[in-house]
Amino acid sequence: MAATKLLSEVTGSVWEITTQVGQKLAPGDTVMVLESMKMEIPVLCEDGGTLTEILVAKGDSVAEGQLLAVIAT
Amino acid sequence: MSETLPPNGEGSWADALQELAQRRTAAQALGGPAAVDKHHAQGRLTIRERIQGLVDEGSFSEVGTLTGAGRYESGKLAGVTPAPYVMGLAEIDGRPVAIGGEDFTVRGGTSWSGDRKKGGQGGFVEDLAHHYRMPLVCLIDGAGGSVTSITRRGHSVFPGVHGFERSVQLLGEVPVVCAVVGTAAGGPAGRAILSHWSVMVQDTSHVFAAGPPVVERSLGQKVTKEELGGPAMAVETAGTIDNVAASEQQCFEMVQRFLSYMPRNVWELPPRGPRTDQPDRRDEALRSIVPENRRRPYDMRRLIRGVVDQESVFEIQPSFGKALITCLARMNGYVVGVIANNPMVNGGAMDVKAARKQTHFIELCDTFHIPLVFLVDVPGFLVGKEAEAAATLREGMRSVYVGLQATVPIFTVVIRKCYGMAGMGTTDKNGLDFKVAWPSAEWGSLPIEGGVAAAFRREIEASKEPKTREAEIEAELRSASSPFRTAEAFGVEEIIDPRETRPLLCRFIAAAQGKMQTLLGPKPKAGVRP
Repeated sequence: MAATKLLSEVTGSVWEITTQVGQKLAPGDTVMVLESMKMEIPVLCEDGGTLTEILVAKGDSVAEGQLLAVIAT
Repeated sequence: MSETLPPNGEGSWADALQELAQRRTAAQALGGPAAVDKHHAQGRLTIRERIQGLVDEGSFSEVGTLTGAGRYESGKLAGVTPAPYVMGLAEIDGRPVAIGGEDFTVRGGTSWSGDRKKGGQGGFVEDLAHHYRMPLVCLIDGAGGSVTSITRRGHSVFPGVHGFERSVQLLGEVPVVCAVVGTAAGGPAGRAILSHWSVMVQDTSHVFAAGPPVVERSLGQKVTKEELGGPAMAVETAGTIDNVAASEQQCFEMVQRFLSYMPRNVWELPPRGPRTDQPDRRDEALRSIVPENRRRPYDMRRLIRGVVDQESVFEIQPSFGKALITCLARMNGYVVGVIANNPMVNGGAMDVKAARKQTHFIELCDTFHIPLVFLVDVPGFLVGKEAEAAATLREGMRSVYVGLQATVPIFTVVIRKCYGMAGMGTTDKNGLDFKVAWPSAEWGSLPIEGGVAAAFRREIEASKEPKTREAEIEAELRSASSPFRTAEAFGVEEIIDPRETRPLLCRFIAAAQGKMQTLLGPKPKAGVRP
């Protein structure tokens, strides 16, 4: 099984985590929402799969390129 | 009138024609079977395969086929090592181009000097592009100069004595496309940058000022070729090269695609493409694409697709400066350059990379008489210590300056935010090029929430409940900043239903063609860029 790494495209903080480990995701589903420059930026699962790992918690600061979650595809 | 052909033998030039055939065969053989096999084994095509893969079938007329180093035995030709550069005239989609590239199978494509240089800065192929006013396509696969040339020549060569001036001149005359299809360092790497658009191939291409051995010798840094000059560095981090292709074949398709938007030269308008989409198509999805909650972003690429001709988008630098989207597209067949802020990254705020991207794209479109369409959602320049350290303000103002110097029509559609100096750079200030706004638009010198605390500090501090007072002031200002009020004052030409965007822009772009014809020719260079 291949793993897709979800990386942050922005610097900001974790606003809300809308999924749980083990959850099945369809292409385009929102995994979590980041806050950056006063905007709520959804982090999307492009190809779908099973969420195997979430590496951040609500309120955490995240840097651009930081690993947020892993999805098994 | 009939002509009597001489029989073979005396007067038929049999020996000379045979020698010509022998020399042509040697040219086709490039660096020889062993070198070609080695090149193929690395997943790379030869320069002849590249040219064949890129241009229209049978359209390549080689120039300088016989150049190289001949070997003679008792005065008779024994063999020829071809010059490591293949070039000539060809057609792409039926339109002429000058095309050339290094032959890596001969001495790694290092520079060669006969009586006249074939390619690279100021090579014959560049003179061809200049002389015939046609696009130049460089297929770059060479490491540039070698210190061994000192031994060969008996002296060291002063850098770039002749040639660079032609490469620079071409940037104001004809489209120049550089595809890095191997490892490019030194001169060939520099050549790749002197282009209107550049592309490199995933896994097999690298570009840097100097490769890992020189870096280690100079700085003690141990780096791989991929880390130093693969697409992750050169395209996504540095923006040195514009786009990345998954394979050489895809790279050729991208070159063809880019050229399809370009005029042959600056004295002609870009070609009108196929009219496959209704100019009055109203995309219903545009009505609700912008969320009413101002904190929610939306998919600007989807919005662009709803406005321009279907399947007409070609994105330039899609993975660099991602707070901004720049793409060539068509509207009822006419070529346009679209510049759109991307609210998904930095909330669309202009950072230093987005500013560089915007500056380059405006210059590209202005040079080739491609009207610009701004789809605006910019809260301003990116703020903060890192942004200031990166000179966001200077790069941002450079992009504003270049926008104001542009003479192509600029159409502005304000989708949501249009604030500050970054917002200022999205319109043609005093001309008659239109700026229209969606009902979701808002503008000003800075976003209200950022400015209330500073502007009303005393009033807020004097209040018994400062937070409440601040919120009240914010609400009052927001209601007065409705775009309809600006439209009352004729500060914006129209407020439109988002679904009307495409029909309206198609009409403007068609109307602009008359003016565009009066703007043809090279653009004068004026002033000092900030």
